[in-house]
Amino acid sequence: MNRPSTVLALIISAMRANRLLWGLIAGFALFPILTYTADLPFWNDIAMRIMLLGMAAMGLNLVLGYGGMVSFGHAAFIGIGAYCVGISQFYGLTNGWAHLAISILACGVAGLIIGYLALRTTGIYFIMITLAFAQMLFFLFVSLESFGGDDGMSIDRADFLLVDLYDPHRLYFLIWLCLSFVALALMLIVRSRFGVTLAAIKSNESRIEAMGLFPLRYKMTAYVISAVICGIAGTLFASWQEYVSPDIMHWTRSGELMIIIILGGLGTIAGPLVGAIVFLLLEEILPIMLGSIAPAYAENWMIIFGPLLIMVVLFGRGGLTGLLARWEKAGRTGTRHENRP
Amino acid sequence: MTVPVLELCSLDKSFGALAATRDVSFSVQPGEIHALIGPNGAGKTTLIQQIYGASAPDRGMVLLEGQNITSMAVPDRVRAGIGRSFQISNVLMDFTVLQNGIIAEQARLGQSFRFFHPAFEDSALIDGAYQILDRVGLTPRAGQKVSNLAHGERRMLELALALATSPSLLLLDEPMAGAGPEESQRMADIIDGLRGTMAILLIEHDMDAVFRLADRITVLVEGAVIASGTPHEISNHKAVKAAYLGSE
Repeated sequence: MNRPSTVLALIISAMRANRLLWGLIAGFALFPILTYTADLPFWNDIAMRIMLLGMAAMGLNLVLGYGGMVSFGHAAFIGIGAYCVGISQFYGLTNGWAHLAISILACGVAGLIIGYLALRTTGIYFIMITLAFAQMLFFLFVSLESFGGDDGMSIDRADFLLVDLYDPHRLYFLIWLCLSFVALALMLIVRSRFGVTLAAIKSNESRIEAMGLFPLRYKMTAYVISAVICGIAGTLFASWQEYVSPDIMHWTRSGELMIIIILGGLGTIAGPLVGAIVFLLLEEILPIMLGSIAPAYAENWMIIFGPLLIMVVLFGRGGLTGLLARWEKAGRTGTRHENRP
Repeated sequence: MTVPVLELCSLDKSFGALAATRDVSFSVQPGEIHALIGPNGAGKTTLIQQIYGASAPDRGMVLLEGQNITSMAVPDRVRAGIGRSFQISNVLMDFTVLQNGIIAEQARLGQSFRFFHPAFEDSALIDGAYQILDRVGLTPRAGQKVSNLAHGERRMLELALALATSPSLLLLDEPMAGAGPEESQRMADIIDGLRGTMAILLIEHDMDAVFRLADRITVLVEGAVIASGTPHEISNHKAVKAAYLGSE
């Protein structure tokens, strides 16, 4: 009953509803032309970092924004994904697709176990349990001396069959492809029957039970999907960084992902990507700006970023995408008024 | 002899020293409207919770159409045939009326676990949702967000969602509470219209509605059943008069 034509129609209607997202993804596709002609390869690096963190934040947003589950430990899944590459290479497995498959499996299993235990709680307890699991994994990898322990291990860019990732543009477009795929999949999921059930559980769990459904199954599934997406981001992160250490799953990164989502807009598809763009650009630009005024304080760019974030949270209901949507709406009604005779 | 839709066998439930349910046994027959009345704090909602599965009795059994459901989880009981409206309106506030219907319709069809099927854009689901809303006359309000609905309309929507699963036993916990006289009248008409199609266990404080609707009444005082019978028997029952009706 799910004919290809209906799936296509679904994709088109979902794409129409998310113009901002697809505009940004198209922008990322064209960005290397700009950096190539302007001879600024360094910016490709930043764009890759943005896409990777944006992808991970999109994954987290499925549980945080759509499902209302405040997970404070999703960096762990990025770390598991990255270590799957490092450990596979340690044992001589160099195929990138194999790394990806192992990461997806490992993050799926880890997500299932952590989700199964953590989702029995809600609110502050859920936040603390997810954080605790992430910290456990962090210290586990710190203690694994054979995999570099605290210092981490260096990684060769994975071998994706015919694709040589040492050509920087190849890695760029592999990341871009994965980002597009994740965005498309999430876009369909949140509009699907599963997706609206998840949103309904966030709205009122007991009514969903009264409809004969087990909320935990839906929440766990969402949790596992989001863990797997973070794992994919982590796998690519390892190749991009050519290095992995427990730092990749430090709890501050879980916080970073949450900041990115809140900045961009909770429970929107484009939000995490917008948030990642703004967050990482500010991370680059603010120290330079601050350094030109007061060189001694360049490191403390968070002094400016912090108040900015607070302003977005206070005044931009729905984050930056919420602000954009309201401006667009205001602009449209404005012109309508002008057109009146 | 017909099997009762619901049969309670010596249910006991206490919270610490407080015995909320004491040796409660009664049954609800197919197609009847059975009212459960009693003063505030008599343990009516606690009893409903045990029938619904949200809390477990300390002792005793709950049988649904002869099947022991005492240890079943809430969603399994719903699938076995229990529908419920809550004391405080329990609907999906962040959605429109139609979307509430669609989510109920896809749950009814067992299609909530589909990842690449559209939900709110699917014409079959929309048709099903309108049928759910039609039963309580909410179709004209389909496009409204639930948070914009009047209190009485939310109660109607909740009833529609409870009916969506075609339950064999409908638990209604004070469906008229907080509603105006007109809304109460409409709710009573709808409940009256359901008579014979399913068994209904009704908790209600509005005695006019209870005596108009109920085929049988069970009176609960301090967690125990003190009387059970037809409205006529109950209104002439001495202990009931003393404990409950007499105080009005």
